[in-house]
Amino acid sequence: MPLHDVGYRPWQGDRRGAGSAIGVIASTGIRLAWTSHWLRRMVLLAWSPAIVFAMSFFAFEQAIDEGRLVSMREAAQAGRNLDGVGMLGTVLADTLGRPRPKAGDTGGVGPDGSPVVDRKIDIADTRHVVWSRLLLAFMRVPQAVLLAVVIGLIAPSLVSRDLRAKAWLVYFTRPVSRIEYVLGKAAILGALVAAITVLPALSLWLMGVLVSPSVWVAVDTWDLPLKAVAASAALAVPTVLLALAYSSVTAESRIASFAWFATWAACWIAHSTLTTADMVAAVRQAQQGDRPAVVQREDRDGFWGEDPFGDRKNDRSAANRRSSSSNVPVGRGLGGRFRWLSQAAGMDPAIDRWAWLSPYHALGVVQAWIFGIETRPRAVVPSLLSLTVVSIGAVLVLFNRIDAPTRV
Amino acid sequence: MGDPTRDDLARGDLSLDDLPVRLDGVVKRYGNRTVLDGVSLEVTPGITGLVGPNGAGKSTLVRSILGLVRLAAGSVRVFGLDPAREPRRVRSLLGVVPEDECAVPGLSGVEMVRYAARLCGMPGLESLRRAHEVLDWCDAGQERYRPVETLSVGTRQKVAFAAAIVHDPKMVILDEPTNGLDPLERRAMLGRLLTLARNHGKTVLVSTHVLPDVQSICDRVVVLARGRVRLTGTIEDLTRPAIPAHRLEGDGPLDDLARLLCARGLPTRRAGDDEEALLLEPPGPDRLGLVWESARDSGVLIRSLEPAHRPLEDVFVQALRAADHADMTAEESAGRKVSHATP
Repeated sequence: MPLHDVGYRPWQGDRRGAGSAIGVIASTGIRLAWTSHWLRRMVLLAWSPAIVFAMSFFAFEQAIDEGRLVSMREAAQAGRNLDGVGMLGTVLADTLGRPRPKAGDTGGVGPDGSPVVDRKIDIADTRHVVWSRLLLAFMRVPQAVLLAVVIGLIAPSLVSRDLRAKAWLVYFTRPVSRIEYVLGKAAILGALVAAITVLPALSLWLMGVLVSPSVWVAVDTWDLPLKAVAASAALAVPTVLLALAYSSVTAESRIASFAWFATWAACWIAHSTLTTADMVAAVRQAQQGDRPAVVQREDRDGFWGEDPFGDRKNDRSAANRRSSSSNVPVGRGLGGRFRWLSQAAGMDPAIDRWAWLSPYHALGVVQAWIFGIETRPRAVVPSLLSLTVVSIGAVLVLFNRIDAPTRV
Repeated sequence: MGDPTRDDLARGDLSLDDLPVRLDGVVKRYGNRTVLDGVSLEVTPGITGLVGPNGAGKSTLVRSILGLVRLAAGSVRVFGLDPAREPRRVRSLLGVVPEDECAVPGLSGVEMVRYAARLCGMPGLESLRRAHEVLDWCDAGQERYRPVETLSVGTRQKVAFAAAIVHDPKMVILDEPTNGLDPLERRAMLGRLLTLARNHGKTVLVSTHVLPDVQSICDRVVVLARGRVRLTGTIEDLTRPAIPAHRLEGDGPLDDLARLLCARGLPTRRAGDDEEALLLEPPGPDRLGLVWESARDSGVLIRSLEPAHRPLEDVFVQALRAADHADMTAEESAGRKVSHATP
């Protein structure tokens, strides 16, 4: 018997209102999840790519500062390799390699068929495009993959563990609604998304500003932090809901975990298979002499026409031209083998018509749209629809399953 | 003003909205199976025991009070509130100890109680202070710092009880509260329930199979079988024998004492073959001396003399048999109607 036992006493303090349970569930869940060594390591690992990308920002800003942008552009347009830090070289070559189209011109192509070259470069616009692409590449390649792994480690147990331990009674015998429960669990994963994508992306932008010669860079790129947050939200909503839905359909978290990774892998394989089949068909078509060399030409044509510097009319006309002249998506960017990487950085101009099949690729398209890199409705709408359907389906499953134990 | 009582209700001082729980014609079906079949009952302040065989619908009844199930028909009111429409308000008035061991893995005992308090809206630091206070009262000791999944069954039960009362609910619902408790802990748990009901005016609803527990602490009992209320009333009324009698317990030659009392005009018989007790016609104050003298003469040392009660178990078994008989009769008559209707 403790010395300070005061017996049972009534309690008449003020209670917090509706919605407070979300914070309680989230904070407790984060604290429990944080006890995992693996999670701590993964989150720490998630910050390391930001350092590499910050070096790319530094190299780019140095190039501007030393006035090497025009010469780099000419080299890029001449098809020569550009030296750069990692992906920066490719992004620069891709961005600077596009001729600046003039109003009413033929899509950046001169009368003799050669690209029109402008001696002036709008540094602010170039910077915005390069930074956007680097940020997108950062969020797509290391962060999205890490996020999928981390969510696969944490999310499967969030609801299934409650079902197994009958902890759902802890919540639903108290003033906690199903919506609060789901939002609380989603907030746990939301915090992880923030720790792995949003915060490193914002830090990367801040590092980019700090390594730039002038702080006015922040004015040129003021919208990028907001876009990074929006892109992370677009990444978080479907993935978190899907992961929680998987977690709710079984009391065994390993099954949910397997389903999560299997979904990503199977959808990726399906996407790759269909895309490869399209490419093989295109090559066969070219070999049969139906449209010799046109595939590559049209691709380049479309590529030149997608102008990050100019107005969107040109962009749209180029996209229309591309869609009307060829339905065969052919990649360029980093080449066929690493096509997914160039797509991830928003450098593949061909419409990825199977992107909606794979969560990774669909999310990439939507994020590229948020960063203003992909603007073609034909490319964005299917992926957006696919993710919306997945999210709505996941919500329905989730609410149905959470309610299930009370119906037994 | 104190808490409402059954007498207040009878006098009209207590409105139906003040009743802790009122069920009216509640029907609940899971597919084709009817689990609650027109259940109507009132849970009044004090301790009410909900007893019934497995599958009687006790857990579903508790869930309907919590607003966790959708009813096919009928209505439920908890302190005048509809749990289906206002589940948040209803649940904030209730504390529930489920039968299943439910806990959030990874949390320690005190964290679990604190978590429950915070889910009920209690502020952060206050919830910790209150969790310790309630765990002290439940005699949880240092075990409270161990993860809940490693606790013994008894300590887990204490933690679950503490988590149910930490937010000071007006009513506590317990499903098998003494499961897994040793005799000392069981007695302590029942004592806590009595304290909550008698000293703090809480309404307590205990769903259990342990009939001696019900008899020892409950004011009222509801017998539920096959989804229907078969018997309801106060313990006092239900266990009163058909013929009033007093029970005498003692050491010595009880048969001699019985013969002597009968010879002296006080009808007496043995309570049971294996019981060291006698049942005698209630002796008035004027005949108590006769009992003491007869005991002295026959060499019996009286341990107790009190009004006799039927064991609740007998009442329970009798109610179930009557329920079975009634159901069979109803089925037979339904079968006859069908056979008459069929050409």
